[in-house]
Amino acid sequence: MRFLSLILLALCVVVDGQTTSSPGGTVLRLRVRVKVGSATRGLARKRFYLVRGSLAQNKTMVEEVERRALISRECFYRSAGASDALLKWLAEGDCETVYCREVSADDVSGVTAVPEFVAAVAAGEKQFGSAELARKWVTINLPDSLRNGFYQVRQNSLGASLKQAEETSGAKVLSVMTDRNGTAYFTDLQPGVYTLSSILPSEIGNMNVSWNCELQVKADERGFEKPYLLSNRNDKNVKCVGVEKPLPVCESANK
Amino acid sequence: MNAQFPVRRARLFAASLAMLLLLLATVAGGQRRRVRKPVAPTSARIDYSQFLHSTPKHQAACSTCHLAPTENWRKARTFPDVADYPGHAACVGCHRPQFFRSAKPVICSVCHAKVSPRDDARFSFGKPGTLRQFVIEFPHDKHQDVIARVLRQLETRPARFVRTSFTAADDHTKHYNNCEICHAPRTNAAIAPTGGWPDSFTPEAAFFKTAPHDHSSCFNCHWKSQQPTSANCAGCHKPAEKSYLPADTPARISMKFRHAREQHLAECTTCHINITKSSSLRGLAPDVPITSCSECHNKDGLRLDVSKELEAIDKNKDFVCSYCHTSDVGRRDPPGSHYLIAGREAIKRKDVK
Repeated sequence: MRFLSLILLALCVVVDGQTTSSPGGTVLRLRVRVKVGSATRGLARKRFYLVRGSLAQNKTMVEEVERRALISRECFYRSAGASDALLKWLAEGDCETVYCREVSADDVSGVTAVPEFVAAVAAGEKQFGSAELARKWVTINLPDSLRNGFYQVRQNSLGASLKQAEETSGAKVLSVMTDRNGTAYFTDLQPGVYTLSSILPSEIGNMNVSWNCELQVKADERGFEKPYLLSNRNDKNVKCVGVEKPLPVCESANK
Repeated sequence: MNAQFPVRRARLFAASLAMLLLLLATVAGGQRRRVRKPVAPTSARIDYSQFLHSTPKHQAACSTCHLAPTENWRKARTFPDVADYPGHAACVGCHRPQFFRSAKPVICSVCHAKVSPRDDARFSFGKPGTLRQFVIEFPHDKHQDVIARVLRQLETRPARFVRTSFTAADDHTKHYNNCEICHAPRTNAAIAPTGGWPDSFTPEAAFFKTAPHDHSSCFNCHWKSQQPTSANCAGCHKPAEKSYLPADTPARISMKFRHAREQHLAECTTCHINITKSSSLRGLAPDVPITSCSECHNKDGLRLDVSKELEAIDKNKDFVCSYCHTSDVGRRDPPGSHYLIAGREAIKRKDVK
């Protein structure tokens, strides 16, 4: 009898688990458009974060994010001793790291050669006996600071903010990255109030732009795609306007 | 009458005691059965033709046995790689008895194609057809963070006619590192599932992208300096909970989707919307929402491929959706998302009269 009761109890638990499963949440479609000069474009390859709770609840994190003065890409690489040619190479592709795009044959020889790449290729050729392989594997012979130093600086700053956000909200912070058109999706969102944040500012033109906005996902939006437009300019459809600050001046430039 | 009570009591006591002893004996017996120790395996029972990384004595640092690169890398690869099995020294320290057991020691067959002192040919490294003992840890999100940043230069590019596609025409195309570093267009046909392709619909190679199966797209950045490096195998290779045979049959819901179709050249993350937040390969699921398709395939004045098939179900509950799906999927109830983009209430086939 007792055994039978246990079986019945187990069956009830299984059935209950099946009936209470979530029917799927809301999809938040971010579209990030930025205006630089007279041109407007989608902001590509930018990560956005969704933190549980209102702006007021996440006030400490947001204030910290807005107060923080992050070193700019140019300042970082200049301080790490990057050549003008490397700075130009990074800027041409709006690259934050050397992993951003392929180092071409033009980048390692001739008038457009980047000295750091030339040295790394020479070291690679010595190791592997192939100039072609050395060019393709160029990053392995670059100094740490030029290879991933800028990324690490930003990651350290990001990590601190994410930790703070997760401690405050008690929930995992979600993140997505925009595609080349500036679109990204948060999926399976449960109803509630959220803080949408870029956490790290984006360098757009000669400005740093950061976004921190509050949004609500309603229960009746379950199963729907909710469009959400962000920009650095206030406009009628823009739901979240970024705060712009001039890029910090490089220390070396002051000297 | 009174004199009978002590006798009865004694009999009752004896019977109870006997039952109690019987019960105790049964319980003790049961416990003994449960705690019975397994018989220690003898060397005769170990299958020396199988090398298991899970064996406790095989769990030293990877570099104890594996070299990176192996001496044969120039012959076997176009880049420095772990392209061969460890040498005899890695095994013989512990397995000397198995090495010299007979004329054809079975332990040799772990690496050698023929067990013979006159033939040292080995299987290609990553012995084909064997169960895999490791899974790969690959954080898509971190890699997305460092690879391409593509900004379209709208303000400087002159207007001109281009072939219709999602890609921007650019005479000065730079090769931005993107998903295709690892997921190139597939060139060989996918292997059919056991029992064949549903509806005998054989998808072409061009329907799919590849997934990395060697170190070529890892070591170009992670050979040294950038962790996990080639010397840190465990940075990427994690012991699998259970050995498995890697599947070469793509699991797809929309089997008829062709990646290589000229109109399907959007950036990968435009459709695979969850990939940029994925920190592991575990739990990756089909993540292309129907809204990625409906922009072209279910728009008034353009095409109404989804709506038309939903209407066909209204007329015939046994209708099989076949524009995107093979019948194994196409005969199911369409998900609510399909009805949503068609602007309709979801229905079940069983409710169609």
